[in-house]
Amino acid sequence: MKKILLALLVSVSAFGFSGNETITVKGSDTMVILAQRWAEVYMSKHPDVTVQVTGGGSGVGISALINGSTDICNSSRPMKSSERDKLKQRYNSLGVEIKAAKDGLSIYTSQSNPVSELSIDQIEQVYTGKITNWKQLGGNDSKIIVYGRENSSGTYVYFKDNVLGGADFTSTMQSLPGTAAVVNAVAKDKNAIGFGGAAYAKGIKIIKVKEDANSTAYLPTEENIKANLYPISRFLFMYTKSRPSGAMKDYIDWILSKEGQDIVTKVGYFPVK
Amino acid sequence: MRKITVLVSFLLALSFSAFAQSSHDNESDTLATKEEVQNVKGAVEGLNESYLETKAVVDAIKKIKISGYIQAQYQSAEVDGAKSFAGGDFPVTLHNRFAVRRGRVKFNYDNDLTQYVLQFDVTEKGMGIKDAYVSVKEPWLKTFGFTAGVFDRPFGFEISYSSSNRETPERTRMYQTLFPGERDLGAKIEIFPTSGPLSLFNFKGGFFAGNGTTPETDNAKDFIGRLGFSFPFEASNLAIDGGISGYFGSVLVDAVKKTYTLNSSSVPVGDSLSKYIDRNYLGADVQLYYDLPVLGGFSLRGEYISGKNPGTSTSNAVYKQTNGDVYLRNFSGYYINYVQNIGSSLQLVVKYDVFDPNSDVKGDDIGVSGSKLSVADLKYNTLGAGFVYYWDGNVKFTFYYDTVSNEKVNANAVATTLAPYKSDLKDNVFTLRMQYKF
Repeated sequence: MKKILLALLVSVSAFGFSGNETITVKGSDTMVILAQRWAEVYMSKHPDVTVQVTGGGSGVGISALINGSTDICNSSRPMKSSERDKLKQRYNSLGVEIKAAKDGLSIYTSQSNPVSELSIDQIEQVYTGKITNWKQLGGNDSKIIVYGRENSSGTYVYFKDNVLGGADFTSTMQSLPGTAAVVNAVAKDKNAIGFGGAAYAKGIKIIKVKEDANSTAYLPTEENIKANLYPISRFLFMYTKSRPSGAMKDYIDWILSKEGQDIVTKVGYFPVK
Repeated sequence: MRKITVLVSFLLALSFSAFAQSSHDNESDTLATKEEVQNVKGAVEGLNESYLETKAVVDAIKKIKISGYIQAQYQSAEVDGAKSFAGGDFPVTLHNRFAVRRGRVKFNYDNDLTQYVLQFDVTEKGMGIKDAYVSVKEPWLKTFGFTAGVFDRPFGFEISYSSSNRETPERTRMYQTLFPGERDLGAKIEIFPTSGPLSLFNFKGGFFAGNGTTPETDNAKDFIGRLGFSFPFEASNLAIDGGISGYFGSVLVDAVKKTYTLNSSSVPVGDSLSKYIDRNYLGADVQLYYDLPVLGGFSLRGEYISGKNPGTSTSNAVYKQTNGDVYLRNFSGYYINYVQNIGSSLQLVVKYDVFDPNSDVKGDDIGVSGSKLSVADLKYNTLGAGFVYYWDGNVKFTFYYDTVSNEKVNANAVATTLAPYKSDLKDNVFTLRMQYKF
């Protein structure tokens, strides 16, 4: 009997204190390169912890958090009240929101495009199909080729809510499955326009954005975002089902530390502090 | 020397010929490559066109959402033929049973601001309609919505809390009695402000036939509505939700049938003063959610309803036009439900509910000679406890035990139908349920 008890104790100890923790992270494609970088650096310093990162979009990540298939969800938009209600039903918790980084939601064009600044109203009109030619924006007489994201993307939802005022995107917009794909498409098309996270902006031109026709236009730089001058800056969030504890808490604390926030800057986003 | 000259001449001629050939070949290669690039470009453009066409079709198909769940269960009661609200009375010859409690499939075409919903329930007992409604939301503020068809009555909390999410196997006795089937046929408006302080409040209310999912039988419509609030305190991971609800309706009684008010053990005098008899309920509900560090979230939910309910002499179920004389009772009931998450996969559940279908009388009044009171006037309370284990994102198991206690009738009651109620009935039920949801 004693041997059985001892064996049970050893087994329980082995499960409970194996010292090998796995944290799963899923969600925003905007955040995926940042999340991967965090994971790589953290795992190199904590070999007993494995951090598995996948993208899929903010909506996909939040669904995964609700159905229990991820520990942490990355989201480039705040959680909707309907999503919080689902968390409440399943976990009796509102979920925990962690502001992990800041982003200037950037407007991309081809490097050869002569247009260098746009107002929020002009961007809204381009993306709702009211403006269709670059000439209407002071550019060449060419049709605007509109690129955007799929509706599972947090960037899509944020852009729709905060730039389009909730209106529908133009039916001519080509929806692409990731910010990298948008950047790639815009870089190759001199008449294209796209939007996405600041960290992806390679090989394209970033347009200055102004609140309205009479305002000053700003680029999404760290200074402008810190000073709240860039009109479409946003937080990048991490969500957990309930208050994080153990390895997950340590990981999140590290992300919010100077070391974690330095990685935010290196990747091309902006620290929260 | 001549041989050498001939050999050099031959080699030079061969080289020139090879050069000419090579130059010609390069030109051909370039042309071929250009042609190939054009072909590939054409193919890519074709694929892109095809992708856009396919995407348009996929986007349309994505609006069709099919969901559903099946609840298969085993139950064991204390005795054969136990009367139960945990999935219905047991047949007289058995005290344990397998059943598919719910087999739902729901089709939803969601066009963002408009919705088509059709839901069926398929079990070994047959097939029935659960939801059939259309819903429209105005596009400007996205705050006002209108729904018409068969759908959940907008009253209280427990009706709208889906059976697939509920931690206890069944709704309370109170809800099952007052709102059988949860749904009704009618139309409602919903007001859900999306921003500003008003977004903490919501309203849903409308007019209904009052017969559940069965066809309309009278001209009077019942008003059902709930004014709700939702206060999230995100920094503390605390939320307090709740609302007040009202049901103001009536049932049609033929003039030849009598109406009795059962508010005491004295013999009531029947009358036929009105064709429409009041069916009025008022309710209040509150839900509190809080996340305990390390352990996980818990919820504490409570609800109270009281009012006037028309039934028959032997049943407190809502009166139907095909019934005989109508018996009006003042009722009250409440429940308290505690759910504690333990980690991600386990929940502990405790629920206590009380339903007094006639709050004007005591059990001891039932069985008094000449009284028209019956077992339909008995008060019940149910204490349930159990746990829910989430196997994965689709499957969960529920282990639950209901301890049911009834008020006792007068010890001198002579009617044989009252005899079993002189003591507590043996009607406790254990339920083991497995659910798959997608």
